[in-house]
Amino acid sequence: MRRYTLNINDREFIVDVQEIDGENFEVTVGDQTYDVNLAGDEAAAGAPVVPGLAPGAAPAALARKAAAPRPAPAAPAETPASAASATPAPARKAAGGSGKSAQTAPMPGVILEVNVKPGETVARGQQIAILDAMKMHNVIGAQKAGVVEEVFVAAGQSVDHGTPLLKFRED
Amino acid sequence: MVDQETIALLMKGINGVTWQAVVMILVSLALFYLAIVKDYEPLLLLPIGAGCLLANLPLSPLMGEHGMLRILYQVGVENELYPLLIFVGIGAMTDFGPLLENPKFVLLGAAGQFGIFLTLILALLLGFSQNEAASIGIIGAIDGPTSIYVSGILAPHMLGPITVAAYSYMSLVPIIMPPVIHALTSKEERAIRMAYSQRKISRRTRIMFPIIVTAIVGTLVPFATPLIGMLMLGNLMKESGAVERLTKASSNEIANMVTLFLGLAIGSTMVGADFLKTQTLFILILGLLAFGIDCAAGVLFAKILNWLTGGKVNPIIGAAGISAFPMAARVCQRLAQQENFDNFLLMHAMGANAAGQVASVVAGGVLLALMGAGG
Repeated sequence: MRRYTLNINDREFIVDVQEIDGENFEVTVGDQTYDVNLAGDEAAAGAPVVPGLAPGAAPAALARKAAAPRPAPAAPAETPASAASATPAPARKAAGGSGKSAQTAPMPGVILEVNVKPGETVARGQQIAILDAMKMHNVIGAQKAGVVEEVFVAAGQSVDHGTPLLKFRED
Repeated sequence: MVDQETIALLMKGINGVTWQAVVMILVSLALFYLAIVKDYEPLLLLPIGAGCLLANLPLSPLMGEHGMLRILYQVGVENELYPLLIFVGIGAMTDFGPLLENPKFVLLGAAGQFGIFLTLILALLLGFSQNEAASIGIIGAIDGPTSIYVSGILAPHMLGPITVAAYSYMSLVPIIMPPVIHALTSKEERAIRMAYSQRKISRRTRIMFPIIVTAIVGTLVPFATPLIGMLMLGNLMKESGAVERLTKASSNEIANMVTLFLGLAIGSTMVGADFLKTQTLFILILGLLAFGIDCAAGVLFAKILNWLTGGKVNPIIGAAGISAFPMAARVCQRLAQQENFDNFLLMHAMGANAAGQVASVVAGGVLLALMGAGG
């Protein structure tokens, strides 16, 4: 997670951006949490990303500012659809909705086992993989109930913090 | 011609059996049980049990002037060589990366040594001499080699019980830590998530770290120089990657060989008449207390950190501020996951644990300095 403290017109905003995968972020402004989809990410050299922000502006816009400077890490095998239609406005998904479609590795390590297959229905907390980190076997539980659409990792693969493990089917 | 004298000679063994020796042989059997059946630190407790058994057999030739156990003791325990060699191996196996990512956890490592000093005071009140009290307190660090090093200098006559206590409690980390943590934290506190820090530690930093720590600690606490120097030598070899063969030898062959020698030599100090005293019982109890207080102090300090940072530190990781690397950190991770299956604070716990490893060595040096041990 990254925390941005933004001073906008002398008002301080604390924005926590939690990366779900390459283009989906969970953004917390104050005590509100939003699922944010980053539709475009361009380095506009020196130019303000969102001009004319007024205090109390829509948090989603703030989140866009917060999320934008971060280079989206390579998210293998799941970029094509949304990246093509790079609209400048952030497409905010319904809060609490299906934004969290991918689950990522919580820390660096090596995947020892993958316990689910695409098409499988999992319960929240059900073991989906074992991650060896610092020589400890960590059971990774499904972060939500749903149907697994795609599994991105295999046993023996090294993962970094934030590497997508699997994707849930969106409904 | 079988006369009285010949029979006496032949029966020397049986006549030499004392009740203390029988009790100690039972103790060695208990150690074998813990090592083989319970899997408690078998690498150490099995050789210690063997040393204890062999030393307590009547007239044990192994303990005579040129007896093997005696020689092993003189070669490496009397002069502190074994614990230092083991430290090279520990350094070669310890990853200080998580600590470098979160340097503030040094504070947790420092807090985790509090029990050592409290137990020291308690032992003094119970009538132990200063040197003995300091040796008992160091058990709280849950660091075998440091305990052996410190008590070997300050109170060699208590080496047996102290070593057995240090290593048994090390294997009891998963049993002793959770109730202490549960008693001091609320469910909400244990459920606190800690953001994974994404700082990448450069190779240069990793290489500089052992050198700088050795120089600083060695200057501040000269008595800790042998321990920290060897620990960091091992770590420098590991992180530099330049001497892979030496790193491997230190963490495998040398560490294994020394562990065998050390275990046998320590076991041979557990001889009936010296070991079977109420003193031994006190050492075991006080050591356990030191461990518990260390854990508690770490957790309480983590709670303060949590309060200072506005709810960003899970107090569980405070308990990892003892030594016992990396077991303590794993126990912390397991506890956190019990509250929240997707809470991963292993890296933070490892940071606190690595800090505890260094801090316990420093604490050992401070104790030696306080007791005015001649180097």
